[in-house]
Amino acid sequence: MRNEILRMDQVTYETQGVTQLDNFSLSVWEGEILGLVPVNNWGVEALLSLLTQNLPLRYGYVHYNERLVNDWHSHRRGGNRVSVIRNESCLAKDLTVADNIFVLRPGFKKWHIRPRILREQLTPFIQEVGVPIRADAYIDSLTTFQRFVVELLKAVVAGSRLIVLENADAFISESELAKLQEILLHYAGKGISFLYLSAHFEETLRFCHRTALMSNGRILKCFDLKSGSADILSLPCVGDYDRWIRAHLEEPVREQADRPMLELRALCCGNLQDVDLRVNAGECIVVQDTDGCALSDFLAVLARGQPESGQLLVGGRPLRSGLDRSIAIVQERPTETMLFYSMSYMDNLCFNMDHRFPKIWLSKGIRRSIREEYAPLLGAEVFDRRINELTNRQKYDLVYTRLLLQRPKVVFCIHPFKKAEVSIRSHLWELIERLLERDIAVVILAVNLADSLALADRLVRLRKGAVHEVYRREDFTRLPANTPWLYLYREKYSNMERKVDMYETFRNQ
Amino acid sequence: MKNDRLRYLSHRLLAAGLTAVLLHLCLLLFLCAAAKDLGGRWWELAAMGAAGLLLLVCWTTVWIIRPFLRLEKETRLFLEGHAPNGLLREEHVFFTPAGRQTWECLQGLLDSSELMKMNKRQAQYLALQNQINPHFLYNTLESIRSEALIAGLTGLAEMTEALASFFRYTISKVENLVSVEEELQNCETYFKIQQYRFAERLQLTVECDSAEREEIYNCRLPKLSMQPILENSIIHGTECKIGTGHLKIHLERTGKLLLIRISDDGVGMDEQTLARMNGQLQKKVRAAASQDGQTQGGIALRNVNNRIQLLFGEEYGLRVFSMPGVGTDVEILLPAITSDRDVPNKEALRSL
Repeated sequence: MRNEILRMDQVTYETQGVTQLDNFSLSVWEGEILGLVPVNNWGVEALLSLLTQNLPLRYGYVHYNERLVNDWHSHRRGGNRVSVIRNESCLAKDLTVADNIFVLRPGFKKWHIRPRILREQLTPFIQEVGVPIRADAYIDSLTTFQRFVVELLKAVVAGSRLIVLENADAFISESELAKLQEILLHYAGKGISFLYLSAHFEETLRFCHRTALMSNGRILKCFDLKSGSADILSLPCVGDYDRWIRAHLEEPVREQADRPMLELRALCCGNLQDVDLRVNAGECIVVQDTDGCALSDFLAVLARGQPESGQLLVGGRPLRSGLDRSIAIVQERPTETMLFYSMSYMDNLCFNMDHRFPKIWLSKGIRRSIREEYAPLLGAEVFDRRINELTNRQKYDLVYTRLLLQRPKVVFCIHPFKKAEVSIRSHLWELIERLLERDIAVVILAVNLADSLALADRLVRLRKGAVHEVYRREDFTRLPANTPWLYLYREKYSNMERKVDMYETFRNQ
Repeated sequence: MKNDRLRYLSHRLLAAGLTAVLLHLCLLLFLCAAAKDLGGRWWELAAMGAAGLLLLVCWTTVWIIRPFLRLEKETRLFLEGHAPNGLLREEHVFFTPAGRQTWECLQGLLDSSELMKMNKRQAQYLALQNQINPHFLYNTLESIRSEALIAGLTGLAEMTEALASFFRYTISKVENLVSVEEELQNCETYFKIQQYRFAERLQLTVECDSAEREEIYNCRLPKLSMQPILENSIIHGTECKIGTGHLKIHLERTGKLLLIRISDDGVGMDEQTLARMNGQLQKKVRAAASQDGQTQGGIALRNVNNRIQLLFGEEYGLRVFSMPGVGTDVEILLPAITSDRDVPNKEALRSL
């Protein structure tokens, strides 16, 4: 007899009069890895809150570990032993791994902490997961994946029966994802359940026993894809992608001028070793950091403008500093990190233009003409709105249009699709294409290829900080079998049977 | 009645009296603090006044505001169609005697046995669609079967036999609880009849953990809980689909629950229709009372849902999941009981 670890039944949950979850029903079995793909982000935060805390419900029932913990009749309080692991680490950075796992555990009551005993207690867990982590290492010194594993171990040690992993595929690399899969399966075998939130349906196929599709705070359907009952392409979240990438592949190849916009010559800095790279005007390359150790160093070089050795040339000239307007960096989650909510829309749009129009802040005429020029593209109404009144899509428009106005030679996009809804992601493709059409070189820095590959003219894979492999678009067929949308590239470039291959790809994962 | 009145009045008086006393106390203390010259012990009086005020706020929240909000919420939910059962059981909601009587009267009107009878009638309607004398129907079908056997038409004989078995199960004692095994057999009989029409275009699989098969098959559920849903899956799901339609009945049991999922890979439904359907299933009272029939195919689901909820409670029933072009899953959530004595609402069972 199987146990249900979680059952949310007909849950309707409101915050400040806004319905976040509407008749939401979901169940997770013991030892199951359940994928959850939100088509839009509506209700996701509310779901995570309700999993960990028993907040007052408008309607419905929540059972945890076969026990009713929350229902609409009563006002139960308290929390459930559910751990949520997200990109923002909740570990104490200045403490060691062992301290984080054992000492910060709820219920730890010892007055005298003996590091040797903690180390001994941790050893079997470390051996179990097979990831080399020192018990006395400080959290600050760990890689993203190691931190992720520490959080996982912390949840296991704390006795969580359900662990929620939010968008893990967005911040850990492919090889690490494969390792993560092993770890999850190991703990699932021991009866721990996982809720794996991901924006990519095809990613959940690799990990999960079942996958639920969520939209507007409701579960639309659960898929048990191993039984082969659903045609993957008929799902909107996959089908749209499939159609878009197919259309993209059918388009004629963009003409790229042989004008190098970015040149890295024997670049060394931190973990980066002898990186040679050349990106032409209007070219999009994806730099994939397969082991996640070089991306931060790459960003550090861009910020400083000076590598330890080698050369970094932008438009044939050495980069002066990170403030050089010939480059632009689109941060992770730019709608949260790159907009100034206290400034007006117009100020947000124009504040990187001073190198082109030094008198922009004095001249209303320039700003008026910008407004007239971009109103058809952005919508006339957005210019009078405050930033917090904009939709997510309008915020992305603002960030990328600012780049168009800045006219840099190279744009670096750091995980541009991270935390973006399914509908926004296809819009982001269009926004990046707009940059390419203006002969701006685009470098997408990613650890995961799920969304980026479709845009790439070349893929550069870094391993241990050095350029390991370079693939041109026609070579994408040679990428590993778990590469997203590989079947489309194979179909295009190798004339292979599409559907058979697609299923083969998905099933093999 | 008199006691109720006294009880209500004493609660109100207690709440109002204590509120007034505390309020006066606070005022008095503040006045004392203000009247005294600022030396001496004015801050102690002020602190006591503040504490009294805090106590007053807490007291008002617990005894007046929260019960009021609770009553408001329950009334609003009732207006949206939920049953008022929880309200009268609630200890902290103080009604006036007439108010309580009104709610009890209302609940009486929505009495589960009455609703059960209404649903029974609906079920019979669904089963028959018109009034046919069952014995006449069985006899006629048996005659046709005999004729078919004599004429060597074994296919026709089998079909007639399946039809007779189906009608016999459907028409006789609609109200009973049956075992999962019996209900599954009826589903298979129904499917067999449909297969004469659809032939290879329709496939049915029943999934169940073999180690738990016996336990699951012995569980009890209201008669005709699964077949109407299977019928819906065929008529509204797979019939409109081009190509072979796959139907699946998946059975699972946990410590307390029996889960039956009937899936099809038919045309499915859009998000708005799905939301509307699940909304109707959530609202027991209104769903049972309304007969508008605006939603095609929704009557059968509502009927099954109502019967389950009236017998076992509103936390059980149907949940629908669907996507256009992908298919529909209907999940039946039931308590895992193996005897009719375990039914929580025996009154509803007896009234049938």
